[in-house]
Amino acid sequence: MHSRSVQAVPRGDRAFRIAQGMFLMVTVLVMAIPLVMMITVSLQTMPEIYASEFKLLPAAPQWHNYADAMRNGDWPLYFKNSAIVSAITLVASLFINAMAGYVFARIPFRFRQAVFLIVLIGMMIPPQVTLIPVFTMLRSFTLFGGRSGLVNTYWGLVLPYIAGSFGVFLCRQYYQTFPMEIDDAAHMDGSTRFQAFLHIYLPLSGPVFASLAVLKFAGTWNEYTWPLVVTSGERLKTVQLALTAFRNEGEIFWNQLMAATLVVEIPIYLVFLFAQKHFVQGLLMGSVKA
Amino acid sequence: MQRARFRARDTRAAWGMLAPFLVFFALFIAYPMVMSIYYSFTDYNLNTANFIGLRNYERLTRDPVFGMAFVNTCVYALISVTLLFFLGFITAAILNRGLRGVAGLRMLMLYPYATSMTAVSMIFLMLFDVNNGVFNKILRMMGAQPSNWLFDPAIALYCLIFVNVWKNIGYCMLIYLSGMQTIEPALYEAATVDGAGEWSRLVHITLPMIRPVALFVLITTMVDAFKTFEQVQIMTRGDPMYTTTTIVHQIYQQGFSDFRMGYASAMAVVLLVVVLAFSGIGLRFNKTYA
Repeated sequence: MHSRSVQAVPRGDRAFRIAQGMFLMVTVLVMAIPLVMMITVSLQTMPEIYASEFKLLPAAPQWHNYADAMRNGDWPLYFKNSAIVSAITLVASLFINAMAGYVFARIPFRFRQAVFLIVLIGMMIPPQVTLIPVFTMLRSFTLFGGRSGLVNTYWGLVLPYIAGSFGVFLCRQYYQTFPMEIDDAAHMDGSTRFQAFLHIYLPLSGPVFASLAVLKFAGTWNEYTWPLVVTSGERLKTVQLALTAFRNEGEIFWNQLMAATLVVEIPIYLVFLFAQKHFVQGLLMGSVKA
Repeated sequence: MQRARFRARDTRAAWGMLAPFLVFFALFIAYPMVMSIYYSFTDYNLNTANFIGLRNYERLTRDPVFGMAFVNTCVYALISVTLLFFLGFITAAILNRGLRGVAGLRMLMLYPYATSMTAVSMIFLMLFDVNNGVFNKILRMMGAQPSNWLFDPAIALYCLIFVNVWKNIGYCMLIYLSGMQTIEPALYEAATVDGAGEWSRLVHITLPMIRPVALFVLITTMVDAFKTFEQVQIMTRGDPMYTTTTIVHQIYQQGFSDFRMGYASAMAVVLLVVVLAFSGIGLRFNKTYA
């Protein structure tokens, strides 16, 4: 690769390079236009949007569109709902997944292979397939939730999120790279398996937790289908559901809708910006499976 | 060899530490999975469930709307996957050459993947809007005929495919890129010495070396495409004239709008079979490569 500059460029390669440059330009345009136009429209007035000519930039940025959008509905409540749901999911699923991952990576027991195989198969089952039974099951928990069970409650919204087994898989992979001697030493010291997990493995889980947390957070925050099915009304509305409400009004205020769209995704973009490394790592760790 | 036989305290610790995960797994994945299959043989409507044998499946074969949903989903999946497969590879090959600004380009391609499908759908609703949308404004500016986009039965599905490709291309690029970076630079150097140009290095070294990664991209994008719902629900609701309805959209419609949950479960089982078939093929090939 490094010697390329010394050699003369063959003619075929020049065509190759021009094609590549053009392809790159188109790609950048196609990827960037939606983002740019979302921001532009979010800062335009409605007459500007109704005007027929195309404008790349707003005439005068209407920053109040953002405040107006956030007054269109109870947005503090929606953000609170999404934040609580994401936080509970994150904490609970990280701990539960890590503990299970540790078992599959380190503790030998009779049906380990069989149970792990079931987990792998579970990973392949699309949540859309189990949508109806999960809904009807939660509805039947009338003991805790009243007449419609856990439907339209925080529990009903959160519990299914905690069940994913992808994290178990990631943690198992990660813990398998630890030397076995750690467990032997812990055993000598008289600590139980659980103590070894709690005091040795858990504190060393930073990297895998970071990746898993970023993915889990993005997944929960961005989820649309499950809140759509299990909640109704304002009380438990998440930010993604609230976004779609702009569409249900007669006239769509595109500027407010685009402003709200951007605001809703700001937490995701912040995480993406500052933890891009972990985001990418998590995606890649999932890809080297089996 | 002290691990040859299982210790009783290990077995106890293993099941104890797996317990929280297994409870969630059983409640929200395994049991609903079984119930989904059971419901598909009943006329379950949220109140009563009578066993009706294969009648739901029989009805599926005669239901023109489900027929359209199935065909639409296949078309959507086939075109999306083909485009993602090739465009992802090309962009990764370009980025792999370490040009200036690669980090920025990678970020530009990945932000749609981090963005929720809800937000992406909102952005493209704005871009595709017939009267005030950006795409039609650009077309008019260039003197071309504006299009009806999502309201045109001939192209609505292709608009959704475009959105899907736009959102997921960064993910595919990332997976390809990780595969390319594991290839020994010495291979390329040897080929260059032997007079191989850029194009033939790509075709004869990169392409064969990343076959397992390419297979992974193929399977994940395929499975993902078969689960398409959010886009449809938010952007078109299956309109115009069912040209954009999909399998999961029909599950949602039948299950949660019309409460024909037995019938919807039969659709869910069809989806499950398709998805598991693809995942199974993926696992199998993965083993032969590894």
